[in-house]
Amino acid sequence: MTRQEAEKILQQRFKLPKFYDEQWETIEKIFRGERVLLIEKTGFGKSLCFQFPAILFDGTTVIFSPLIALMRDQVKKLTALGISAKCINSEQTSEENSQIINEAKAGKIKILYIAPERQENNEWIEATRQMNLRMVVVDEAHCISVWGHDFRPAFRRIINLVKLLPAGLPVLATTATATKRVEQDVAKQIGGNITTLRGNLMRDNFKLFVVKVSSEDEKLIWLGKNLEKFPGSGIIYTGTRVDTEIYSKWFEHLKISSTGYNAGLDAETRIAIENSLMNNQWKCIISTNALGMGIDKPDIRFIIHTQIPQSPIHYYQEIGRAGRDGQPSYIILFYNPDDKRLPEAFIEGGRPSIKKYEKVIAAVKAELLGEKDLMRRTNLKQNQIRVIKADLIEQKIIRQLANKKIEYIFDAPALDTRAFEELRAAKTKDLGSMIEYVETNASRMKFLCDYLGDTSNHTFTNCDNTGEKKIAVQVTREWTEKLQAFREDYFPELVVESRGSNIVNGVASSYYGVSSVGSALHRSKYENGGAFPNFLVSLVLKAFRKKFGQEKFDLVVYVPPTSSGDLVKTFATTVAQILKFPISHNLKKQRQTSEQKVFENSYLKSDNVKDAFTFAVPEEVNGKSILLIDDIFDSGATVKEAGRLLTTFGATKIAPIVIARTVGGDLV
Amino acid sequence: MNNEATYWIALAHLPRWGHLKINNLIIKFYHEKKISVEEFFNLSETQWGNDYQLDEKQVSDLRQAKSELGSNAFLAESLFSQGFELIPIVSPEFSKTLKGNLKAPYSPAVLYVKGNKKILEEKSIAIVGSRDASEIALKFTDNIAKLASKEYKVVVSGFAKGVDKQALDSAINYKGQSIIVLPQGIMTFDSGFKKYYSQIVNGDVLVLSTFFPKAPWRAELAMARNPIIYGLADEIYVAESSEKGGTWSGVVDGLRKQRKIFVRQPEPTEKNANLILIQKGAVPVDFNGTVVSKTYYTTVEQVPVIQESNETESIDKKIRSAFNGRPLHVNELLVRLGMDWTVKKLTAYLKKLDFIEIVKDRRPNLYKLKGSEDSPQQRLFS
Repeated sequence: MTRQEAEKILQQRFKLPKFYDEQWETIEKIFRGERVLLIEKTGFGKSLCFQFPAILFDGTTVIFSPLIALMRDQVKKLTALGISAKCINSEQTSEENSQIINEAKAGKIKILYIAPERQENNEWIEATRQMNLRMVVVDEAHCISVWGHDFRPAFRRIINLVKLLPAGLPVLATTATATKRVEQDVAKQIGGNITTLRGNLMRDNFKLFVVKVSSEDEKLIWLGKNLEKFPGSGIIYTGTRVDTEIYSKWFEHLKISSTGYNAGLDAETRIAIENSLMNNQWKCIISTNALGMGIDKPDIRFIIHTQIPQSPIHYYQEIGRAGRDGQPSYIILFYNPDDKRLPEAFIEGGRPSIKKYEKVIAAVKAELLGEKDLMRRTNLKQNQIRVIKADLIEQKIIRQLANKKIEYIFDAPALDTRAFEELRAAKTKDLGSMIEYVETNASRMKFLCDYLGDTSNHTFTNCDNTGEKKIAVQVTREWTEKLQAFREDYFPELVVESRGSNIVNGVASSYYGVSSVGSALHRSKYENGGAFPNFLVSLVLKAFRKKFGQEKFDLVVYVPPTSSGDLVKTFATTVAQILKFPISHNLKKQRQTSEQKVFENSYLKSDNVKDAFTFAVPEEVNGKSILLIDDIFDSGATVKEAGRLLTTFGATKIAPIVIARTVGGDLV
Repeated sequence: MNNEATYWIALAHLPRWGHLKINNLIIKFYHEKKISVEEFFNLSETQWGNDYQLDEKQVSDLRQAKSELGSNAFLAESLFSQGFELIPIVSPEFSKTLKGNLKAPYSPAVLYVKGNKKILEEKSIAIVGSRDASEIALKFTDNIAKLASKEYKVVVSGFAKGVDKQALDSAINYKGQSIIVLPQGIMTFDSGFKKYYSQIVNGDVLVLSTFFPKAPWRAELAMARNPIIYGLADEIYVAESSEKGGTWSGVVDGLRKQRKIFVRQPEPTEKNANLILIQKGAVPVDFNGTVVSKTYYTTVEQVPVIQESNETESIDKKIRSAFNGRPLHVNELLVRLGMDWTVKKLTAYLKKLDFIEIVKDRRPNLYKLKGSEDSPQQRLFS
């Protein structure tokens, strides 16, 4: 087929006038059954390079993509063009997925998007036997490489698959962000005479700024003052989940329309937020980097980072979502030298100790285990187990079976810790480069392009070092007071509502560890510091009023102690007296439990408190609304268990209130 | 070899080609023309026809297999990710014992395995016998497995009830090594992998199958698996055989292939076919597997063999006793009888029997003894 003929079809089917040269070059190679790695910036039109040949093939093209939001988006667009495209993912019901698999088997689907994890699914593997497979696409191919910014273990199986594909079956790998090292790694892994095509990465509609500050307050104040002045809508990236909450509450306090987004939200909420972003419903979305590699919104006008990313490649990837329509877009990075502690902690602490690796190896050697049981056997946090699991799989010491069980590999090599050291050194160097970006006096765009191995020549006039005015933060008394008022009025929510229990979401008077509350608790609990100080009582009362207003509760119940004596009892009694609610002392432990903080993961925490409580006088709670008081809220397992028990005894509502909520293990 | 797995899977399971045809093709491209399986698949159809003298039907089979390579890749990836390995017949890892015993007409083109592959290089014995073997046969099995384990010989067994299971359990018990030869595809053996997890992790057990990885258990596969067991073993011991069924046909087949087969010398009172096998050329052994002396053997030979006077009568009797009050499908009946008949043959035979009737309104047909009342299962609603 000539380019002219192809472009005729392009106009008819995709309503696009013509191909870029790089697109046509890629498509020609695909038609010849070759393998291509295509590195082009966001917005270039990489998708067309596989969508076009896919509609001309007589079978199905399978696209592995890690981004469910992107899959949904593309399927929507293709469907609108009358092209049969579907996606299979974990956010659809298994009936929906089965239905799509059946359509694929019947040859009714041209373009099928699936998540790499699907390769672990038996039904899918069975289905592929009956599909007429014509091309395989690996989207976000940098996820293949541990040297990239977003290595994903599930992609390892995709690489193994690609290696097994017969010669002559075209394979296209695409990414917008790959350094030379990642490029070479990906090309080597895919193999089979792959051709790499690399475009330029320059985004000249970006206006890049770095704002140096000396505290978190300065960031909050500057954003509070200036956010509404930005055109259109955008994204603010924070470092942690807690920060997304704090920033969105701050904007709420200032009546700036915004919402928080993180990986802890359920699919439905995430989809709703993604849709509302598309419809410009918010001025901004405050997110951890869980949001949006795949958000295909052309007019994101600003992207602001309150936390320095781990490397320039992370940064380029995250800001890449701005201004796909080519219109000017503001790219702002806040930097307080203290901020580098978070990425440093990720790099240093991101990898569990060798001892923990050995614990996992020993457990798996002894028996075939699922993740849950492995957590129980080893008392390790879920995210640590996952890191260890991924590393041990990489080193061919263990493998994960189709039924998710983890098995030790016969004749496995010993644990190789050098690989970890090498990776850590590389990451430390990347973070150093990111700080160089902050400190540079030269063009910031050039810095990023150089870093990514784009050697093409441009003039750069689009940053605060090359013509744009520098931003400095002015802290006024008015704003300091506004922020103070917000702080005193902000109480973290306890999300505990669950089916089958009458427990409702409650409130904490503070986060543990971000204020003086934590140290006061610690003194009383562990340093014989006497009863909880009075300021905690007033803070808890304030939190109560904020969350529950003038609501009356029939009864105050408190969680009986594990080891710290009557602190909570005394505290709850004081609170009950002031609120003028009767108090009950009848929630008891019916067996000895350990302190929850001993346990590293929620399964062991739940096991620890399961059936641990009893209520001595059940009729006391029957038909009542109950305020449930405890000192520290960690995983929530304790108050949930108490809530469950009180529900069985007929309580109609159980509202938990605690002094402090821990920040918890789930940072992003 | 792993990158070629996709092609080996396609080649090894060409429908109705049989081992000989497939092996002859492998000999031709791999040994004579010295090209890889991938290169062979990438030849033109004309080349297949001219250079390999393949007829139109065969070329069409290969064309079909080639079009499924992409799908095979998904299967192969899934296979490897679960820790299974594929050993093609041209690989140095392929069991030399198996190849030597079965040669081109009977060797499978690939082995699917999981566990310690080195076990395939060790001296090996198979202990075979019926599913409902007598106490003495099981004791013999245990003893032979013990002696083998002591001498670092691998015990090959078929994972059936009775003698097979005993051989495996004993080898494990005596810290020996074993090969489990599956009557099914290797990806359908989850419970077994769970059960023998620590033996596999420690390198004492290798699980092996020659069938399509996802093939479920079938009576035909159980039959087809027997020659693989015999082929993998340097020595074959028969604990107990009846006059029909897998063990019997396996031994007879082995004798026909000139294998030396040791059969447990039965007590005079035993009712089994061990003596008949000895008469047919198998070597009698005592409880410790030692060959029984010729003179003793000769005297035994003179003892009249316990034989059913009428073979048909014996089959009818077996069929009667196979029904324990429950109607059966032909397949189920075949398994219970342990006979090497085809479903078709048994169906035809059943229809001639006056004491068997067909249960109405069931597809496929259920058979029961005339006059017996039971339905397959108590039903709440009918």
